[in-house]
Amino acid sequence: MAVAHPSGADHALLFVPGQSVMHRLNPLTKLTCVLWVAVAAFALPPQGTIPLALVAIATGIFAGAGKVFARRLILTLVPLSLALFVVHGILVDHAGDRTVILGLDLSHDGLAYMVRILGRIAALLSGSLLFVCTTHPARLLKALDAHRFPPGMAYVIASPLLLLEPFTQRARAIREAQMARGLNLEGSFLARAKAFPALLMPLVTLALADIDHRAQVLDGRGFRAMPHRTVLDAPRDSTAQRVARWVILISIPFLIAGGILWH
Amino acid sequence: MALIEVDHLTFAYDTRPVLEEVTLAVAPGEKLAILGGNGSGKSTLAQWIAGWLPRGTFAASAGGVNIEGRPWDELDDATRAGTVQFVGQVPMQQLSGFAFTVRDEIAFGPGNLQLPEAEIRARVDAAVAACNLSHLLERDPFSLSGGEQQRLSIAAALAMRPRALVLDEPTGNFDPESRDALLAQMAKLPAELAIVWCDVTLGVPLAVAQRFVLLDAGRIAYDGDAAGLLAHPRTAEIFGLPAVAEAALMLRAQGLWPEGAAISADAGQVAAVLRPMLAEAAR
Repeated sequence: MAVAHPSGADHALLFVPGQSVMHRLNPLTKLTCVLWVAVAAFALPPQGTIPLALVAIATGIFAGAGKVFARRLILTLVPLSLALFVVHGILVDHAGDRTVILGLDLSHDGLAYMVRILGRIAALLSGSLLFVCTTHPARLLKALDAHRFPPGMAYVIASPLLLLEPFTQRARAIREAQMARGLNLEGSFLARAKAFPALLMPLVTLALADIDHRAQVLDGRGFRAMPHRTVLDAPRDSTAQRVARWVILISIPFLIAGGILWH
Repeated sequence: MALIEVDHLTFAYDTRPVLEEVTLAVAPGEKLAILGGNGSGKSTLAQWIAGWLPRGTFAASAGGVNIEGRPWDELDDATRAGTVQFVGQVPMQQLSGFAFTVRDEIAFGPGNLQLPEAEIRARVDAAVAACNLSHLLERDPFSLSGGEQQRLSIAAALAMRPRALVLDEPTGNFDPESRDALLAQMAKLPAELAIVWCDVTLGVPLAVAQRFVLLDAGRIAYDGDAAGLLAHPRTAEIFGLPAVAEAALMLRAQGLWPEGAAISADAGQVAAVLRPMLAEAAR
């Protein structure tokens, strides 16, 4: 799992180590909750999505991920709120009443639309953040393997996270090598645009060669030789969590139906 | 019956043959070194022996490789993985891209074979000890140095408990201490494990192998013992006379060189000393 001083792929993760209830839950239980939140974000009205987002944020703070939540939510929601306020609150000619506040002619329907969109995004974002902040990908992979999901599914999740860092290192090395050969990467926009293929081509070529080689490595190590894998130290699961997952999954069609009826 | 049999193999990536009429057999437990200069075809031959070739459009013009009399493609994936493991030259390319820790990287292969947990743990522990990785178990494999990644690749291969281990310049990224540690651990590996060690140097393979194949421009120039290898005219040309003398020094350090005999930089003289000594050792 993540170490105290993260290295390699851990740099790219939002995971915050901890021992909270959320950390201890089986990753599949959390993944099921994220799925439920994603559906709820579209099915529920703002009176549902905003409290949902607040609960997720409070849980995240309780789990020790307050800083990550604050940073990501501010970075995402503040510019989005401003944009929605200007476009839908002021510029778009929505039907219905309008009010003048501080010299701004505001549309009631436009502001209601803004709140609805912000509620959805806040619920989606905070639900997803709660999952990634409290679940190390390694535990998710083990949970998937332990529950006999196809090994390829776990690989699709793991490899981009793991290979991002080496890929970045290689891109940096190619950039330095090409600059040492006289490629101008610090000139005008046009000069940099001209130089772009000289950076991109070796990166793509090497990545393709890597894919071939890694496929051989995976074959050599028996990947998918059997339909399922044996996992060491699989995350703990319980009957209660299994029941909870089924209840959540079964509730999703009702949530969708409720959302349609509400609208 | 030979474990691995390369039978009159001729192969080219494009038009120029990389391997020509290569024939050799590896017996169970045999320690074989395939030596040669850059571009001699060692890595390609290693990939054929390990079953990484043929693939895609890369096919033999003639001949092929058999495992106990059966072509590679007749073996199922699990059997292939349990028969030969390959460790290539570029350490980062040997990683699975599936594991977030060194421990999980080593357990990846045995896990794929659906072995019982206890068996996987035993294999991981043995491989960790063999490759001196106990202090790195919780590290991200991609954050390791080249030498550490190479040790990890070897550990991951050993955890598969193959019948043959094919190593392509495995100590190229090692410092002398790590190299010596690996060689010491190699000596402790099960006697029934066949090792095919490909290298561009003479010294390390002499410590591992009993049989030597000299590959020159895709053809086998020599196949035999260390004395014959050091005496072969192409050995001095490919590796240089100092390397031949250094190899003789290494043999002396291992107690395989006659007490008091001078070590010459002349390949012929080295061979003249080595031949009777190794013949006696063989008896």
